[in-house]
Amino acid sequence: MRRLHDVWKRYVPTKFIHILDIPMGTLSLGTSYLREEFNKLKIALEKHASITISDEDIKDAIEVFSKSRLIYNQLNSLRTENPPSISGTDLMNLTSDFFKMEPKIWNDNTQGILKEIKIKTQNGALNNNPRILLSGSPLHEINFISFIEEIGLNIVYEDLCTGSKFFDLVIKDSQDVLTSLSEAYLNRTPCARMMQIKERVNQIYRTAEKFRVDGVIHHSLKFCDTHLYDVPTLKTMLTEKGLNVLFIESDGGLGNINQIRTRIEAFSEIIKSKKKVKENSIQ
Amino acid sequence: MLEKYFTQLEASLNAKLNAKPTARRKFVYEIARIGSRIFNDNWSIGWTTVFVPYEILTSMGVSGMFIEFFGAMLAGTGMSSKYLELSESKGFSTDSCSYHRTIIGAAMDGLLPKPDVLIGASIPCNGGVKALKRMGEIFNKEVFILNIPIEVTPKSIDYLTEQFEQMIEYVENQTGRKLDYDKLKKSIKYNNQAREYLIEINDLCKNIPSPANSNDLKNFIIIVLLQGTKESVEVAKLYRDEFKFRVDNNISGNSEEKYRLMWIQNRIQFKTDLLRILEENYGAKIVIDELNHIWWEPMDENVPLRSLAKRIITHPIVGPAERRLEVITQLAQEYKIDGAVNPAHLGCRQSAGARVLFKDALQKIGIPLIHLDVDCVDERNYTPGQIMTRMEAFLEMLSNY
Repeated sequence: MRRLHDVWKRYVPTKFIHILDIPMGTLSLGTSYLREEFNKLKIALEKHASITISDEDIKDAIEVFSKSRLIYNQLNSLRTENPPSISGTDLMNLTSDFFKMEPKIWNDNTQGILKEIKIKTQNGALNNNPRILLSGSPLHEINFISFIEEIGLNIVYEDLCTGSKFFDLVIKDSQDVLTSLSEAYLNRTPCARMMQIKERVNQIYRTAEKFRVDGVIHHSLKFCDTHLYDVPTLKTMLTEKGLNVLFIESDGGLGNINQIRTRIEAFSEIIKSKKKVKENSIQ
Repeated sequence: MLEKYFTQLEASLNAKLNAKPTARRKFVYEIARIGSRIFNDNWSIGWTTVFVPYEILTSMGVSGMFIEFFGAMLAGTGMSSKYLELSESKGFSTDSCSYHRTIIGAAMDGLLPKPDVLIGASIPCNGGVKALKRMGEIFNKEVFILNIPIEVTPKSIDYLTEQFEQMIEYVENQTGRKLDYDKLKKSIKYNNQAREYLIEINDLCKNIPSPANSNDLKNFIIIVLLQGTKESVEVAKLYRDEFKFRVDNNISGNSEEKYRLMWIQNRIQFKTDLLRILEENYGAKIVIDELNHIWWEPMDENVPLRSLAKRIITHPIVGPAERRLEVITQLAQEYKIDGAVNPAHLGCRQSAGARVLFKDALQKIGIPLIHLDVDCVDERNYTPGQIMTRMEAFLEMLSNY
C-alpha cells in the first residue's frame, strides 16, 4: 500500500493525497499514535480546503456515519432470515453507492429502500440457496458478488473492508473526539492487517453462526500479502470450527471466470450434499 | 542437523581464517558463530525481522536471528526448494516472498530450534511480520510487533522508544532475562566505532577502480546480526584495512573495471555464476549495494533506546519512496556507476513495487537500470541463460550509452 501511495503520487495527478500510518497489533501505545495521525489528517484537510474542522464538525460527521451504519445493519439483518429477503448483490450495490455518495443523501435514499424491501418481502422468500459468508480482500467489483449468487449461492455477509465489516464499528463518546475515533478503529473487529488471526477467526465464526452460513468463501487479491499469508491458518482454524471453506485467489475482476465458476460450483455441491446428509440424519 | 552444520561451518571457517585471514573470512566466520549460538544454552533465541535493534537483544542475552537472512542462507546451501515445496503444499501462495516461505517451511519441518521470543517490525514489509506470526503458531509463542512510524519527528521517535521499552518487558517476561543497561551503552559505543569504519569502507569503494570485487561486500547487510558487538568493529576494521591497502597499492578488486554497477536491494541468494561471468568476461562489477549505505548518524550512548529508534526511523526504506530514491540517486552519483541492477525479487513489494520509481529516478540522472525479475531465493524457476542474455544486452547498451 505504501508503494501504491508512492506510485499514485508520481503518476496520477491528484489534488489531495495523504498517507495515514495505522499501527497494527495490540499495543496500547497505538491509540495515542493513531489519534495523532488523525489530527495530522485533519490539519492536512484544513490546509487543502482552506477550512477549519471543529470538534463539533467531527461529532456531526460521526452522527451521520453512525446513522448510515444503523441503516445498513437494519438492511443486513434481513439476511439473517432464511431465506434472506435481500440479496448480496442488491446490498453490495447499496454499499458501493455509500462509498460514492454524500452519506446524508445515502441515508435518506436507503431508509426508503429499507421500507420498500420490508413490504416486498412479505410476499415471500427469495430462494433457498446455500448461505455464504464472503471474507478477504476488499472488493469493488459488484459483479463478483452477483457472479457467485448466479451460480446458486446466497452471499449473506461480506467480511470485507468494503462490505458489511465496514459498518461494524461503534464509536463511543469521550472528552476527545479524535481519541474516540482512534479507539474505535483500533479496537474494531480486526482485519487481516492487524495481525490478530485468532480474534478474526472467532469473529468470522460468531458472524457465521448469527447469519446461519453454510460455507465461507475466502477471497484474496493476487499478490495481497495481507491475506495470502493468513490463508493456511485461517482455513485450518475455520475448518476446525466446522465451517466449509473455499479459498479463491483472483485479480478482483472476473478474468479467470470459468476456472472460478467450476470451483464455486463444486463447493456449492459439497455444501448441498452435506446439508442433505444432515437433513436425512435428522429425519 | 542445523547445529552440526553451523558447528562444522564455524570450525572450517576458523581454520581458513587462521591459514589466511581476510576480512570476508572473518565476516563469514562471525556470522557462523551467531548461527552456532542459537544452539547455545547460555543464550535465549529470538527470531526477528531485519529492522529489530539487535543491540537491545544482545544486551539481554538473546541471540537474534532475522528470518530473511535464514531464508537466504538456506537458499545459499541449496536447501530452500525443499522448504518452499513444504510451505506451498500447506497453502502458502507462490506469489508471496520466498524468503518467508522458506523459513516457514523450515519451521514446519522442525529444522529450527524453538524460539524464546519472536519480534517483527512493520518495516520493511507486512509479509515478514505475517511470517513470524505463522512461526509463532508453529512454536506456540506470542509475537511482539514493533510499529515503525513513517515520519521522522521527535514524537515518532518517542513512540518507537516507548515500544522498545515494551519490547524489553516482553523479552523479560518470555525469557526471565533483564536488560544490562551498561552492556547496551557499550554496544552503542561499538556501533559508533563500526559505523566510522563502514563509512570508510564505502568511501574507499568510490575509487576507480574500486578495491572491492562484486562478492567482497555481498549480503553485507547481515552485519546487523553483529550490531553493537566488538566483533562488528573487528570485521569493519579488517575490511577498511584491506581495502585501504588495495587502494594505496593500486590493486583493483578484479582485473578489469569496464562497467561500475549498483545493486538495488537483495542479491540473488542461491549459487549462480552470474556475477563471476559478468566480472571475468565483461569487466562488469558491483561497486555499491544500496543496502550497504550507512544512513544513520552517530548514536548517543546516554540515550541508547532513543538513538536506536532514530536509527530505524531514518532508514531510507521507511516512509515515502522519495527518501529511498534520494539515496539511490546519491549513491549512483557518488560511486560514478554506469548502470544499476534491480533483481525485482518476485514477491517483494519493496523492490518490485517501486521498480518504476527506481527507473524514473535514475533516468533523470542518465543512469540506465535493468529489472531482472528473478526470485532471489527460489532457484526452481531460475533461467540462467535468459538472465545472462538480458545482462549481456544491458551491458552492450551501456557500452553505447
